[in-house]
Amino acid sequence: MALIQLENITKSYESEGTLTPVLHGISFSIQEGEFVSIMGPSGSGKSTLLHILGLLDRQTTGSYLFNSQDTSMLDDPARARIRNKYIGFVFQAFHLLKRTTVLENVMLPLYYSDVPKKEYAQKAKIALEHVELSHRLDHLPSQLSGGERQRVAIARALVNDPKVIFADEPTGNLDSKTGATVMNTIEKLHHQGKTIIVITHETAAADYANRIITITDGLISSDKNVTAPHTHYAK
Amino acid sequence: MNLPSTIKTSVRALRANWARSLLTILGIVIGVMAIVLVISLGQGAQNLILSQVQSIGSNTIILRPGRQPTQPSDAAETLLTDSLKQKDIDALLKPINVPDLQAADPAVLVPGAIGYQNSVYHATVLGWTPNALGEVFNVYPEQGSFFTQDDVKSYAKVIVIGSKVKQELFGDSDALGQFVTVHGQKLQVVGILPAKGQVTAFNVDDIGLIPYSTAQKTLLGIDYFHEIFLRAKPEANVDQVAADITATLRESHNITDPTKDDFFVVTQKTIVATVSTVTQVLTIFLVAIASISLMVGGIGIMNIMLVSVTERTQEIGLRKALGATNKNILMQFMIEAIILTFAGGLLGTLIAITISALVSFVAQTYFALAWPFTLPLGAIVLGVGVSTAIGLIFGLYPARKAAAKDPIEALRFE
Repeated sequence: MALIQLENITKSYESEGTLTPVLHGISFSIQEGEFVSIMGPSGSGKSTLLHILGLLDRQTTGSYLFNSQDTSMLDDPARARIRNKYIGFVFQAFHLLKRTTVLENVMLPLYYSDVPKKEYAQKAKIALEHVELSHRLDHLPSQLSGGERQRVAIARALVNDPKVIFADEPTGNLDSKTGATVMNTIEKLHHQGKTIIVITHETAAADYANRIITITDGLISSDKNVTAPHTHYAK
Repeated sequence: MNLPSTIKTSVRALRANWARSLLTILGIVIGVMAIVLVISLGQGAQNLILSQVQSIGSNTIILRPGRQPTQPSDAAETLLTDSLKQKDIDALLKPINVPDLQAADPAVLVPGAIGYQNSVYHATVLGWTPNALGEVFNVYPEQGSFFTQDDVKSYAKVIVIGSKVKQELFGDSDALGQFVTVHGQKLQVVGILPAKGQVTAFNVDDIGLIPYSTAQKTLLGIDYFHEIFLRAKPEANVDQVAADITATLRESHNITDPTKDDFFVVTQKTIVATVSTVTQVLTIFLVAIASISLMVGGIGIMNIMLVSVTERTQEIGLRKALGATNKNILMQFMIEAIILTFAGGLLGTLIAITISALVSFVAQTYFALAWPFTLPLGAIVLGVGVSTAIGLIFGLYPARKAAAKDPIEALRFE
């Protein structure tokens, strides 16, 4: 059973009476455990697609089954619950809370979960171990390097043990060397069984994936499996 | 998201902008402070007045000419009416009319000042009976003595003065036996009162007492009284005595319509009722004015909360992406607003109580007033309660705006 199943998804934005179509009919499935890169030039609609996949936005037409559930039937609180429980987000701009320690930033999703409060810190520490930041628990985001910040964000995405991690240009704000560390961390999660979906326009980052979907002008222009190991980043 | 962690998050957000938070609640602080202060001081003042009224003694009845003032224009009538004369006293003192009446002491107010050589002092000069001050207020001269009943009969030109009057006019030199001038007449000082300060309605230190007959005939040339102090017998029913007095005067004044009364009877009970009504109305009035500042404070809170919501658009988007529902976000901002206004209410109440305690301390220490400090529990509950309610009302709009934010727009916001 596919974790994600899209059937002819379209999305149009309405502003001042005119409809601007962004996605023209996207269909694909992603199985649990896949590492997929969604590529495309800016304006191609890949971010819109990610927002729909991440249940942050609703498609205009078409069907989207997430974990065998028809998402169009879900109301906002139900979508929030799924985001909290099954989805982890990693953003280009990290989006860490400024005046909040690393540990508490990672704990944030747990506040909205059913996890008992006494397990918050322990779960957050385990997530931070995965990204090798156990020594930074009490630091503020401003005291960390860009790569470290993104790894905190990855730990936050991991903390509630989601099925899938959506990363939107995770290396976009980083130099290539730190970008490589971040991608290595994401790859490690993939090896541990997580489904990973990375949106990027950098081939270097896309090369970590075992499947690359390319979007051009709101349509899938190619969808191919890659078996060759990534070579762009110096190891 | 559970309540304690929501509160913790809110407190952190407020502390991050603590100077702004403080300025935001200033309006609430001032509003609540004004309300609690007005109620607290009003209570203190009312208690002070009532304790003085009670010191008149429950068997004292005051008879005044004119009509009981029920509206501002009525107050003038009291001074203009000359309805109470010697024949009324004679009628009241007949046991067949008012059986339980013990004494009647007429009083005449002499406007003007007391002069001695080149000094003039504006004191309250009262034409009275010899025994009234002693028997009603338990104040007796420390030098010399009161004038006598014979002095009243003979229109004697004598005066008993208060300690402050003596000090102002004579300094440390001897006043007894000296002549002072009131209304162009020379009066001999026969007694000096001890320093007692405020006793009931007047300040004993600031007074000049002369025989009422002298005040009427010699000084003012009138045949009526400004006030008659009546005393019921100790065991008498004061309400009954007051009713008897009213009936007697209506008969002797030929009044059949009670609304046409040209006199009114005041007992301790009626004064207490009047004072309470007046201070309560005044308090409600002032509280209503203070509430306006609370309202303005609430709008200030709403304004700042709206700014805060805009500033934290990204945070809101992130929280939503991580699984926060609209309700979670609404709660977070509502709690922030309520914490703000609750803190404002608490702070305002504390300041008001401090000022109120200080006022009562100053009044007691420097003005010798029995101004009691009462902790206005009702006012505290009202102040903190109303300010918290304002947080609920004025926090709702910004919180709803926050909750309605689209996570995509919010995350894109830079």
